[in-house]
Amino acid sequence: MKWLRFAWLNTLRNRRRSLVTVGIAALGTAAILLAGGFALSTYHALAQAAARSSGHLVVGRPAQFTSDEDTPLQHGLDEVAALRTQLLADRAVRQVLPRVEFSGLISNGDKSTVMMANGVDPDGEFAVKGPFLAMTAGEVLASADRAEVMLGDGLARSLKAAPGSSLTLLASTTDGALNALDVRVKGVFSTGVPEIDKRLVYTDLATAQKLLNTTRVSTLGVFLDRMESTAPARARVAALFPSLTVQTWLDQAFFYRSVRELYNRIFGALGLIIGVIVVFVVANAMAMAIIERTREIGTLRALGTLPSQLLHTLALEGMLLGGAGALLGAALAGAVSLLLYLVPVQMPPPPGRSSGYPLTIELDPLMVAATVLAMLLLAMAAAALVARKTVHTPVVDALAHT
Amino acid sequence: MSAVVELRGVHKTYRLGSHVIPALQGVDLAVARGELLALTGPSGSGKSTILNLCGLIDSADAGEIRIDGRDVAGLDEVQRTLLRRDALGFVFQGFNLVPVMTVAENVDYPLFLAGVPVAERRERVAAQLSAVGLQEHAAHRPDALSGGQRQRVAIARALVKRPKLVIADEPTASLDSVTADQVLALMRERGHAEGAAFVIATHDARLTTRCDRTVALRDGRIE
Repeated sequence: MKWLRFAWLNTLRNRRRSLVTVGIAALGTAAILLAGGFALSTYHALAQAAARSSGHLVVGRPAQFTSDEDTPLQHGLDEVAALRTQLLADRAVRQVLPRVEFSGLISNGDKSTVMMANGVDPDGEFAVKGPFLAMTAGEVLASADRAEVMLGDGLARSLKAAPGSSLTLLASTTDGALNALDVRVKGVFSTGVPEIDKRLVYTDLATAQKLLNTTRVSTLGVFLDRMESTAPARARVAALFPSLTVQTWLDQAFFYRSVRELYNRIFGALGLIIGVIVVFVVANAMAMAIIERTREIGTLRALGTLPSQLLHTLALEGMLLGGAGALLGAALAGAVSLLLYLVPVQMPPPPGRSSGYPLTIELDPLMVAATVLAMLLLAMAAAALVARKTVHTPVVDALAHT
Repeated sequence: MSAVVELRGVHKTYRLGSHVIPALQGVDLAVARGELLALTGPSGSGKSTILNLCGLIDSADAGEIRIDGRDVAGLDEVQRTLLRRDALGFVFQGFNLVPVMTVAENVDYPLFLAGVPVAERRERVAAQLSAVGLQEHAAHRPDALSGGQRQRVAIARALVKRPKLVIADEPTASLDSVTADQVLALMRERGHAEGAAFVIATHDARLTTRCDRTVALRDGRIE
């Protein structure tokens, strides 16, 4: 404890220098935590969006995930009701939603354009989508609706369609014939991605199956009680249906994986640079302090202090500077995170998106603890590194230092 | 009386670039327990070199040095440090107190290093400060004391661990004559009380009269 007190007293010798060192360590720590917290909140938001879009699990026939169809729903699932019943018996499963994915043309009579359509169970589907689908006009589809559609706002604009407009869907049936169905626009939505909003159409499952002349569905989206249930539930479902393939939301979430990989590299490099800066700042402050105290170090050595003991107390000095900075930085990051919660700041739309998103900083306790610990250890190592030579200087030379 | 420190045929040279400077040339010296020895001589005569060798902060090129009967030639740096910690005390011309520590903490430091229990440390520090008349300054920082008071703290620090030998390099050089007399009297009194020998390097002729013995050096040899 005496060494720690001695180290503490030494940090107070040149208060301005210590304050600058602590300040830079605090800013570095806060920058790392804010960047990490931003990345973490982005990962969580994207993971939630991906899971709500596809389902935590996606069940289908193996070929559905590996090869293209020759005709619509070639690799689709039969006997969906029985599969749903078995899946819903699992303790973690909250909802099982069938989906029919198909493409075709959509026409207003004067103009036809390509559509990517999803036949869904509207009540379940739009309940789980939550805030990740924004209605811009009209109403959300209901399960009782028939021959009604919801259009992406880009597609609605292209077809000059609004709620109440009549349109025609054209698609190949499962046996290769061309089929058409008149539908009415019930609502217009935005996913936030203009390229998707120019093509995407939602209709109810029965309408989609009627158009495609089938009772099959493409896949079943399985929604679980929480994200953490994904891996064990996948294992159980895969064991229950060995002839089917069970993918997780992560397998389907190409965008999530790309963003995570990109952010990990960007913020990893940023953290490394900030860590190096903090090491240099602490090392510089300690180097100045040690040079100023060379004679004193010689005195302490003469009195019988071992070089290892001096190295220990100087490393503790670095630890106090780095630790104080790291704790202050963590508090600063916490304050910024809280401020953003109380006073939301809207970020501009990312590339390829039409809507912005609220800036949130998610401070994970483990991330904060690891960052503070890393700063502390880096500062200790920097101090020990610069002190190493001086504490081993011959006593007679250290005492003669002016 | 057995010698606390003994030098036999000690040689020491320093190199300054291509120049070789002989600092000590075959010095023989023995200091008895409790003895107050003054080393005198002009600058460059070898006084500080003898202090450095006796204080184990430098090594001889040739000859034998024994501290309390133990040959120090074969000791590594850690062993020399531990021997300094346990058997030697230092009083420096510039006092060399640790400015961030209080007077009591400065005096306590050698006991802390030696691993003396806290309660005993407290008692011994209080006794030393009382002996040098600074008990009321125990909580003060060195910069709140006069030069004479600081040197008294340094003497208390040197003697608190009851060393066999105290090395004092120009201990009165930074003090006025009255204070210098007081400090020297204190060193003599405390040295005799604690049974510690003092080797004191000095230019001050008055100081030598208060020591038990004076050794004059010239050009690295005892005159």
